[in-house]
Amino acid sequence: MPASSNRSTTTDAPARPSRVRRLHLPQKLRNLELFLLLIACGINAASVVLVQLGALGRIDTTLVLLGAGLSALVLAMHVVLRFVAREADPFILPIATLLNGLGIAMIYRIDLANEETGLASASVRQTMWSALAIGCAIAVLLIIRNHRVLFRYTYIAGFVGVALLLLPLVPGLGREVSGARVWIGIGSFATFQPGEIAKIALAVFFAGYLVRNRDSLSMVGKKFLWMRFPRLRDLGPILVVWALSMSVIIFQRDLGTALLYFGLFLVMLYLATGRLSWVLLGMSLFLGGAIVASQTLDYVNGRFMNWLDALNPDVYTADGGSYQLVQGLFGLAKGGLVGTGLGQGRPEITPVPQSDYIIASLGEELGLAGIFAILALYLLLVARGFRIGFAGNDDFGKLLGVGLSFVIALQCFIVIGGVTRVIPLTGLTTPFLAAGGSSLVANWIIVALLLRLSDTVRNQPRLVV
Amino acid sequence: MSVSELTLLVLRLGFLLVLWLFIFGIVYALRSDLFGQRARKMQADVAAPAGAPVAFPSPVTLPPAAAASAPTEQFAARPSPAFTDVDDKATTQNATRLVITSGPKAGTEFPLTGDSITIGRSGDSSLVIRDDYTSTHHARLMLWHDKWMIQDLDSTNGTFLDGKRMAVPTPVPLNTTVKIGATSFELRR
Repeated sequence: MPASSNRSTTTDAPARPSRVRRLHLPQKLRNLELFLLLIACGINAASVVLVQLGALGRIDTTLVLLGAGLSALVLAMHVVLRFVAREADPFILPIATLLNGLGIAMIYRIDLANEETGLASASVRQTMWSALAIGCAIAVLLIIRNHRVLFRYTYIAGFVGVALLLLPLVPGLGREVSGARVWIGIGSFATFQPGEIAKIALAVFFAGYLVRNRDSLSMVGKKFLWMRFPRLRDLGPILVVWALSMSVIIFQRDLGTALLYFGLFLVMLYLATGRLSWVLLGMSLFLGGAIVASQTLDYVNGRFMNWLDALNPDVYTADGGSYQLVQGLFGLAKGGLVGTGLGQGRPEITPVPQSDYIIASLGEELGLAGIFAILALYLLLVARGFRIGFAGNDDFGKLLGVGLSFVIALQCFIVIGGVTRVIPLTGLTTPFLAAGGSSLVANWIIVALLLRLSDTVRNQPRLVV
Repeated sequence: MSVSELTLLVLRLGFLLVLWLFIFGIVYALRSDLFGQRARKMQADVAAPAGAPVAFPSPVTLPPAAAASAPTEQFAARPSPAFTDVDDKATTQNATRLVITSGPKAGTEFPLTGDSITIGRSGDSSLVIRDDYTSTHHARLMLWHDKWMIQDLDSTNGTFLDGKRMAVPTPVPLNTTVKIGATSFELRR
């Protein structure tokens, strides 16, 4: 006799309540999110005002209007969360909002220095891209009501990921910007970096693939020294991904993207199998590839030279030399502990200060204290993602949560490490901060997926009788 | 309008300060995640000191006062005299676990966190009970002013608190049986 909750009441005992009394439960998590979100929007507005005071000496209303646009959008997303994901993590959205807003303020500051206004200015375009990106995030939250739906589309996601990655190589569609062929464009206006979206598709694919096939990757193999190494025939997947990232280095001339995808696969493989031998194997494969590439490919060799010998005057003045890198370092040094103040430094001297070098620009004007605050924000965001993966019950959700947040972490490391001369500089966008529409769209979709995952995690049954 | 150097200096230092306050605000909200749950006070500690929270009525003082005011009503309202500390409503402070006392999974238990617990046959419930007498969304245990309340969600076969079918959301006393379908459970210390 299966009971259903909407059966007629007349057949039941008289003690039955005629009507369910509703108790309205406060949404504690959402209220906390709203509180943090309002603070984040306040800080964003303050940063724009400080830029105007510092650079112009007066308060102008143009961008305050655009800042209000960003606030309205994230508040709309907050309202959507109240209805479709009420148990979602309350920290992810405010952190992403703050990073996005700080980025817009810095880009606006560089627009002021270059005297660009209206639609031509990067800050207005960045705000419009933010609107599109948050729109995409809301759409993802509304469409994907349960992350396990994505598990069904594992192989489609893999195909889409590889296709997006190879799209810039299509003649007529691909665009080459400062050496790297990672852009697509139709006509002259709309350019897009499909590789940014590909990282989400590939994370879904890796998660689904590893959940299905991890037994053969983790159980068998010969024990050598203290580790169990995989069988030769199980090396297929890692070699395929390695070949893919090597082809990105060779044909698209983009070191950072290749490192990003390979690192993502390696981490998810380690997570799925728990075997250190995969990490060692993968890292030696990639290092081998990178060393061969640095010997044979001119642009990779140049990057290594700029990194190792940046302050050499010959390298500094050479065409494609370390001028940009060293200018960024000078800017960071000028910033010192608390920075020159927003709008009061000269970040525009460095080439591309609003995209690849936004961290150097922020470091100059906010100082070490500001840079560490930004890094702490990234740390908290990534830690929330790891926490969601850790709390998840299903393996697919675990892998996806950790994979998506690790992509953000690795991308930060590659870019910020490159700018601060920890590793060779490679062109990638700083998540949420840097000017670039495709990166914003991709990262806001990651935010939406993490929010969806955290909502499902909290709603899982704790006991099945 | 021009701004003096000093104002700008104060403003930009204030901006960094607010940025860091935001970060520490998040870390403060996350403290249980980062540093682990706060250890619960032992029972003896709670009963003894005078500074004990008001929300935690001491079993020594309450019954005489209640008995003096309305002894008959107190007896009528008392759900079951079999248990010693049955007057204690389960709160966030004194209830730590949910124990299944009868049914197919009798003996299992899980810890109570601050979140509400939905009970039913559907897979999205926190406590899934798969038998023929349980409705899809049968009932839920939730916190109402720090007290655990049980609410029947218009289930077909009803939710029984200490043998009585309940109509309105009711506070759950400690160690009192809640029966749903063929399964009963209690909230315990």
